[in-house]
Amino acid sequence: MAKSSDYLSRAKRQYLLRLLFALLVVNIILIATWYLVTTKVHAHILSNIKLEHALILIILAILSSLIGALLLTRSLLSPLRALWQQIVNLAPSGNTSPPNIDTLKVGRELVADLASQVMQLASATSDKLSSTQSPILSRDFIANNLPLPLFILDPQETIVFVNNKAGDYIGIKPEEMIGKNFYMVLDMSFPSDSTFEAWLKKAKESSATSSMSWERVRMNVLDNHPTLLFDLAAYYNKDNPEHYETMAVLFDHTKQYSQDDQAVSFVALSVHELRTPLTLLRGYIEALEDEINSTGNDELKDFMQKMSATGQQLTAFVNNILNVARVDNDQLSLKLQEENWGDIVNSAVSAISLRAKVRGINIETTIAEGLPSVGVDRLSIYEVINNLLDNAIKYSSNGKVIKVDAHMSKEGLVETTVQDFGLGINPSIMPNLFTKFYRDHRNRAQIGGTGLGLYLSKAIITAHGGNIWVRSELGKGSTFSFTVIPYSQLAAEMKNSDNKEITRGAHGWIKNHSLYRR
Amino acid sequence: MDNSNELTNTNKPHKKVLCIEDERFIGELYKRALDKGGYEVTLEIDGNKGLALAQSDEFDIILLDLMIPNLTGIEILRILRDPSKTPHLKAKIIITTNLEQREDVREDIEKQADGYVVKAELTPKELVGFLDNIA
Repeated sequence: MAKSSDYLSRAKRQYLLRLLFALLVVNIILIATWYLVTTKVHAHILSNIKLEHALILIILAILSSLIGALLLTRSLLSPLRALWQQIVNLAPSGNTSPPNIDTLKVGRELVADLASQVMQLASATSDKLSSTQSPILSRDFIANNLPLPLFILDPQETIVFVNNKAGDYIGIKPEEMIGKNFYMVLDMSFPSDSTFEAWLKKAKESSATSSMSWERVRMNVLDNHPTLLFDLAAYYNKDNPEHYETMAVLFDHTKQYSQDDQAVSFVALSVHELRTPLTLLRGYIEALEDEINSTGNDELKDFMQKMSATGQQLTAFVNNILNVARVDNDQLSLKLQEENWGDIVNSAVSAISLRAKVRGINIETTIAEGLPSVGVDRLSIYEVINNLLDNAIKYSSNGKVIKVDAHMSKEGLVETTVQDFGLGINPSIMPNLFTKFYRDHRNRAQIGGTGLGLYLSKAIITAHGGNIWVRSELGKGSTFSFTVIPYSQLAAEMKNSDNKEITRGAHGWIKNHSLYRR
Repeated sequence: MDNSNELTNTNKPHKKVLCIEDERFIGELYKRALDKGGYEVTLEIDGNKGLALAQSDEFDIILLDLMIPNLTGIEILRILRDPSKTPHLKAKIIITTNLEQREDVREDIEKQADGYVVKAELTPKELVGFLDNIA
């Protein structure tokens, strides 16, 4: 930031001085001419005040030159200033209003693209000109004046160039990074499977020039240094000279993104405080249920059932919020163990059946015979089934049926569907269905919920290596399906670890490189 | 959990449970459910007293909360698992907590204990079912 404004004011000073000088010369000539003409005509009037007059005229010339130069500089520099403003907006922290994400995405890729082209130009010209002749066009000059961390990789993904800003940013001297493997130096985690490595691999396979940007990338640096959070833009050009194949530019957002994380932690903390009283309430409801069931009063029994169902719902909601906070903070870790899928589905269904029962809804479960055992994290997968059933109950009218079906998919995965015959989902909102806080606006008034359930379910299923999707028809109902992986497929992965279980991060943070992948 | 647990358990010899838990209401609920499930329960809210009771080696199961006054559950666990401080312990130790633990901390605790229960994830009756399976 400081660098960019320095640059602008330096340009301004240079323009101003040159213009001032030019205008001064022009004005003095003009005024002198005018003075000579007038003195000739009115020599008898002006002859006595010649010196004073000359002084006034010179001051007039200087003043008018100054005003003219200022105005001209302003107008000449305004496009440059606008351009700088754009760059500053794209550049990290310090700008007060968060810019529009969509325009930013384009902008980031553009910066990487532009940087790459400038570097190409610089390296092409520096071949022909000696660096002393054209310091302004030298690669190092340009790269080191770019107010963003920049990395250039060769076809082997070895770092061939790093600018000073990048060195400052990650706290390693540029010369110590050069010649090392990019993934070894930068331990990055991405918010999804779409990683830098995956993109670069694809770009190389199709051997086409390509640019891409990522948001909320994390990087662990030195031990006592906080985790860096940034957006990343990259540009790949197969035909770049000097093996400058890939260029990566970082846009720091550590401050802004970590504030978001803190907000999540605050929510998680407050929700956590709800857990103890909620546990107690459910405990007392359970104790009371025993007593009331033995009295035989049907109305009281019915009330107790409803209380118990409501308690369960509230618990599920609190767990959802806590888990979303874990996903967002890279703290949800799954322990995949061998489980009988039929048992899991049946017990998840039976746990929620009370809630269905009080709404007069019946859940029909079909488990295909001979299903292989699966590799899942029991508690997390429970929550997925619970969330899908909870939605099915919410969006079904009373007295309807919900069908749960577990079977093998064509791809050899264990597929489970939850089908309701309720409202159905508007096609226009389908793409946003698995997004955080997204809910069908039509139903917001009648149907409660947080819009976290599907987001969380997707995160959990993705972390399991499975897939989740939906088919729906308005007025006829929806079918949510998800897959989990048979345990035998995970066995190979298990062999490589001495543990009897596999620990995985949430979909949220998949390590960039296979070397680091958990 | 279904009610059949209660019937089968009442026929077995009563197992002794020490419940070190400073949240009185939780302790009360656990005691009630465990009594019904055929266990004999001693409640203790203080860490030091809880440790002394545990070391008396009279119990089959110790339910150990992590957040208790005077000694933390982790400290108690460490002393109970240290042969120089606790030469013999027949009891199985079940950690009960509502705390969010860091993964490595939790793993360390789980290694030393015989069970790890997040209180919010189980109702008292479900806890009884859990103990029936573990003991």
